[in-house]
Amino acid sequence: MLNVLTTLFPAEEFTLLALVLGMPLLGAIVNGLFGQRLGKQAVKTMALSAMGIAFLGAALTFLVLDREASHHPGHHVKLSWQAWQWMHASGTRDTTIPIELKFSVDALSGVMMLVITGVGFLIHLYASAYMEKDPAYWRFFAYLNLFVFSMLVLVLGDNLPVLFVGWEGVGLCSYLLIGFWYQHAPNAQAGKKAFIANRVGDFGLLVAMFLLVQYTGALDWNGIEAGSGSLVNQADQMQVHLWPIGGGQFQGFLSFLQPKNPLMITGATAVGLMLFLGCTGKSAQIPLYVWLPDAMAGPTPVSALIHAATMVTAGIYLVCRLSFVFVLSPFTMAVIACTGAATALFAATIALVQNDLKKVLAYSTVSQLGYMFLGVGVGAFTAGFFHVLTHAFFKACLFLGAGSVIHAMHARIHDDVKSQDMRYMGGLRKYMPYTFWTFGAATLAIIGFPLTSGFFSKDEILFKAFVNHPVNAAAAHMPAKAAAQLWQQPTWLGPVVWGMGLAAAVLTAFYMSRAFIMTFFGEFKGWTIGKAPAGAHDHHQDAHAHGDDDGDHHHEEDLKTPGPAPHESPWQMTVPLMVLATLSLAGGFLNPGLFASFFKDGKPPMEHWLEPVFEEAEKAIQVLPNAEAAHHKEYPLTFAAFAAFAVGSFVAYQFYIAKKGAPAKDMAEKAPGLYKLLLDKWRVDELYDAVIWNGTDALADTAVSVDQSFIDAIIARLTALVVAALGTVLRVFQNGVVHVYAGAMALGIVVIGWFVVVPRADVVVSHSASNADYVLDAAPGMGYGYRWTPEAGGKPQDEKFSPASTQLKLHLDADKTQVVKLEVQNAFGLTATKEITVKGPVTEKPEKPEKLGQVDLPSVNVGKN
Amino acid sequence: MLLAFALSPLLVVAIGALLLMLAEAFSKVRTGLALGTVVVFFAGLALSASVWLYGLESIPGLEVLAPWLIIDRFSMFMNAVLCLGGGLAALLAGGYLPEHKIERGEFYSLLLFATLGAMMLSASGDFLTLFIGLETMSIGAYAMTAFRRTSARSAEGALKYFLLGSFAAAIMLYGFALLYGATGHTDLAGVGAGVKSGEHAPMVLIAMVLVLAGLVFKVSAVPFHMWTPDAYEGAPTPATTFMAVAVKSGAFAMLLRVMLTCFGDARSMSWSSGWPPVLAWIAVLTMTVANLIAGRQESVKRMLAYSSIAHAGYLLVGVVATMKNPAQGSASVLFYLLTYTVSTAGAFGALILCGRFGAEAVSYEDLAGIGRRHPAAALPFSLFLISLAGFPPTAGFFGKWFVFRAAMEGGFTWLTIIAFLNSVLGAYYYLRVLVFMYMREPAAGAPIATPMRSGYVNFALILSAFLVVVLGVSPSLSLDVAVKAAAAFGGGAG
Repeated sequence: MLNVLTTLFPAEEFTLLALVLGMPLLGAIVNGLFGQRLGKQAVKTMALSAMGIAFLGAALTFLVLDREASHHPGHHVKLSWQAWQWMHASGTRDTTIPIELKFSVDALSGVMMLVITGVGFLIHLYASAYMEKDPAYWRFFAYLNLFVFSMLVLVLGDNLPVLFVGWEGVGLCSYLLIGFWYQHAPNAQAGKKAFIANRVGDFGLLVAMFLLVQYTGALDWNGIEAGSGSLVNQADQMQVHLWPIGGGQFQGFLSFLQPKNPLMITGATAVGLMLFLGCTGKSAQIPLYVWLPDAMAGPTPVSALIHAATMVTAGIYLVCRLSFVFVLSPFTMAVIACTGAATALFAATIALVQNDLKKVLAYSTVSQLGYMFLGVGVGAFTAGFFHVLTHAFFKACLFLGAGSVIHAMHARIHDDVKSQDMRYMGGLRKYMPYTFWTFGAATLAIIGFPLTSGFFSKDEILFKAFVNHPVNAAAAHMPAKAAAQLWQQPTWLGPVVWGMGLAAAVLTAFYMSRAFIMTFFGEFKGWTIGKAPAGAHDHHQDAHAHGDDDGDHHHEEDLKTPGPAPHESPWQMTVPLMVLATLSLAGGFLNPGLFASFFKDGKPPMEHWLEPVFEEAEKAIQVLPNAEAAHHKEYPLTFAAFAAFAVGSFVAYQFYIAKKGAPAKDMAEKAPGLYKLLLDKWRVDELYDAVIWNGTDALADTAVSVDQSFIDAIIARLTALVVAALGTVLRVFQNGVVHVYAGAMALGIVVIGWFVVVPRADVVVSHSASNADYVLDAAPGMGYGYRWTPEAGGKPQDEKFSPASTQLKLHLDADKTQVVKLEVQNAFGLTATKEITVKGPVTEKPEKPEKLGQVDLPSVNVGKN
Repeated sequence: MLLAFALSPLLVVAIGALLLMLAEAFSKVRTGLALGTVVVFFAGLALSASVWLYGLESIPGLEVLAPWLIIDRFSMFMNAVLCLGGGLAALLAGGYLPEHKIERGEFYSLLLFATLGAMMLSASGDFLTLFIGLETMSIGAYAMTAFRRTSARSAEGALKYFLLGSFAAAIMLYGFALLYGATGHTDLAGVGAGVKSGEHAPMVLIAMVLVLAGLVFKVSAVPFHMWTPDAYEGAPTPATTFMAVAVKSGAFAMLLRVMLTCFGDARSMSWSSGWPPVLAWIAVLTMTVANLIAGRQESVKRMLAYSSIAHAGYLLVGVVATMKNPAQGSASVLFYLLTYTVSTAGAFGALILCGRFGAEAVSYEDLAGIGRRHPAAALPFSLFLISLAGFPPTAGFFGKWFVFRAAMEGGFTWLTIIAFLNSVLGAYYYLRVLVFMYMREPAAGAPIATPMRSGYVNFALILSAFLVVVLGVSPSLSLDVAVKAAAAFGGGAG
């Protein structure tokens, strides 16, 4: 079987990728163009089969890849397929950079591809039931398929431009799906916010591409790697000058701006920071994370697929993909690690007090993404990427579980906001057993219960954060003195980010346990806030026709009467939950760093698998103080991680089960300011409003007032007045009298005749730079004769005017000037005279030899014919 | 046989015109005349294209026709542009004449004959055929201007046009006679050789002035333009369209051919005493005066007349650029003629579409609010005006772009700047139409323009809109064609 595949699809022409990419695209096109007419069943079949076939293709690709890898151990095996030559970009030094529409799959993108198609399929299946009653069913699946296609383009692209197409594509789909219920203004707003925040990051990615073209002369992965040497070139002209911008000097009254030493960074740092700016947008890190919580306005399957499992991990994928670029700059690595740690902690604090179930999960996603960046930032690429994988399992499971809960709640209380509010839930364990168990399994994984997937991946990140130390690899190739001046990370940085990560782990354990307890334990509080329409038991009737509620159900809000109980979701929704829950629990054994010694070579499967990808990058990562000592720290550090889990979840148990939430209320009352601040998400949105929005508004207002008071009021009116006045004057001549018209023509002929009859003497002086010879050319003219007087006042060369003598040659010594006279006689016997001062070569100022012929003519007359 | 093929665009128009005249005389049925004319024009267009594709190099015996008719890529390009302009005018006439109750068959024959004259004009290599072509074109145009017999304005415009046109023709003929006297030739190439020799310079110079005056009259450049607004306004709109696109294109073809062949030597093209500086100043005057007056018009039709004068100014900038690079300059003129033809024909067509019998849309006020009431008429109108104003991505933008580029590369920076500033002025009165269409409502009690319905006009608008967009989005193909057509003048400058 595999033999057949490898024969059919050789590594260099791996067209199977076309199938993997093509199926979701086909689904998107069919559903997008014809979906409305096809009906729900057909749309569902199209979307699901597209995803199913893509997953099968991905699985086959993975098998082939695995086989190739086992044949070439230690090699970075890649299967690639070039669709066509896309364009040529011009690089520096007259090179052209071919940009191909090329896709490739290696160990890293292979895993991503499996996750996207696999989890994607499960979520499509889930959505086929969840969105059942939505009138725009077809549109939803068209977008969802298009998203999967774009995401696959992103991970399979073999160069940055192709990746960028996917990158923008997922951004577009994210925008479309967040605003899926666009009839509701806040949803449309949220979509817009996501798009704009992402655009800020995209700017960084674009700049990074330009820099890479400049430095490495390539945009494909192999080419960038081959040319990455010039990124660390320390020569002044090879660095990026930040201040003064682009190099140069401030002079005159600006000289106070000139620093003693120009502020420069290496190309590697510039590229790394710009790429990372792109990542902070897409992967919701400080400072661009603000869009992700709002993105929960989209349907829940979208939150699960795009805003938890796949798209938001694109940033981590990019860092892993270009790990060999990032490690060239320890400064960039430090920025990534610190940003990741800060985001992990910051988002976790907000999640502590949120009451909206999806908001808690959203902030937890931001926080977990922070962990991943913390991992890759300290050079633990495998660990960071492993967390992408496990997070895809448990967070997708959590979101889908939340969707199942909301589905049930909404069927009961018909209120978009309240059906997501955990304060109205509770006790759902009884009514929704599958959802309860699967949600519980995923919660255990995310809070790091021992031996679950989250435990292994988070533990690995924290351990590596403590011991890893990215160093500047360039130092090894430099003289000791120069090397000492390179920036290196301080050794305390690792333990500090480890501490932040650990604190975030405690908070994670707390808020996730809190969410789990509030949702599934205790008494169901939804009894008292509404009821289903009397006698109707068809919950599905309006389950998700959000916005249709007003039209269909004018039911009285009777807050006291108990309605029907919440119910479990259909199989299309529970099966994906069970699959994902199983993966959440068991997925950790793909890479249990703790038990590394049980595996061959001491490397767990995932690490073994990804080793060739990160081989280059990991050379720049030192382990402190040494490998042996670090190994001994592993168990104590694991215990710390376990303790974090235990403390967090125990406190949550105490607060919300043992004491029924009383301590939480107490604390909120004791520190109302802090509580309010957390509930308002540290008011970061308000800060951005105040700074960026108001700043932009102020700038726009200034521009408007200048426009109105100066440009419109003075310039526009004045010119309009002048033009109108001139037009009115000219109209007078257009009086309709034919004599005037003929007179104007006659006048025109006379003027042209005058121009032709009057002679004009013009001279063009040309000069060869090598010697002091000058050639004076007289302008030609019909019937012209010429007479030259080389030295004005002297004798003319010839008494007669001659049509042939159009040229005069002169030799002038240095610093001499000579006045030459030209007389012209035209066909009508009229003459004209011109005197030209010709200056000889100037010895003192040799830099201005062109300005020799001082000819007072309009410039258009120079150098014609 | 191949010779007939090479001449087929001319032949089909000539034979078509004769047949239509017979049909009009002997048949009682009047309905098919417009359609027949359109078919003839598009057959001429298609034949020009096929001759072009077949390749004139592979047709032997063309020299038999020289110098009376010079069948080269230049004349083939002009055939296509003229047939396109004539075809669009015929389409408009097919809608306009019946609507305004002035449908008489001779209009179509006149249209075809006038176009034939223009085609001859662009192909002729001898003063005799040139003059015959010119008069065939002009007389047709005079008659079409006077076509609305009951209207005083129509008659007045036609009479002025005829008087001044005869005056200009006489002046030009006098110039031809002087050239014949000076050189002993009536064929353009022979005259060019004689002029280059530099003999009889005073006679040649005076002849140049006279010929130039006649030529710029035909392209309606300032100060030889004053007949234009009156004739354009008085004529039925399809005739105006024809004059604005086909007559002007034919005149520019003649201008290029005569000036570059007869006066293409270094002395005639000298900046100090040749024709390029004359044309440069005429261009400046034309653009500025026309744009300034156009801004003050109340009638959209008259505004479009002045706009066509202004465009003659831009085209003259391209002609001036031939001084440095004859091929590039004339290529830019040819391409501009193409873009100008589709935009102007479209604009007049949209104006026709906006009016009805007894309620013809003429003034800005007539168009108030039509954007809301009849978006299908206002939208193409906006497109054509935007193209005339030269906004990307429309045909007009690239037309201006190539002319201005040719002028810049020829070193005429100051001329380009003046032309550019003038196109800013132009934007004012073009956009003013949009303001009235979309942002004003008609005054209370004022007559409201209601669009007419006509498949002919609709088709003309769709075709021109298509071309405006295509030429604006991917101009390279037609620009290539224009460059090849202009290659005839590659070695024009001595």
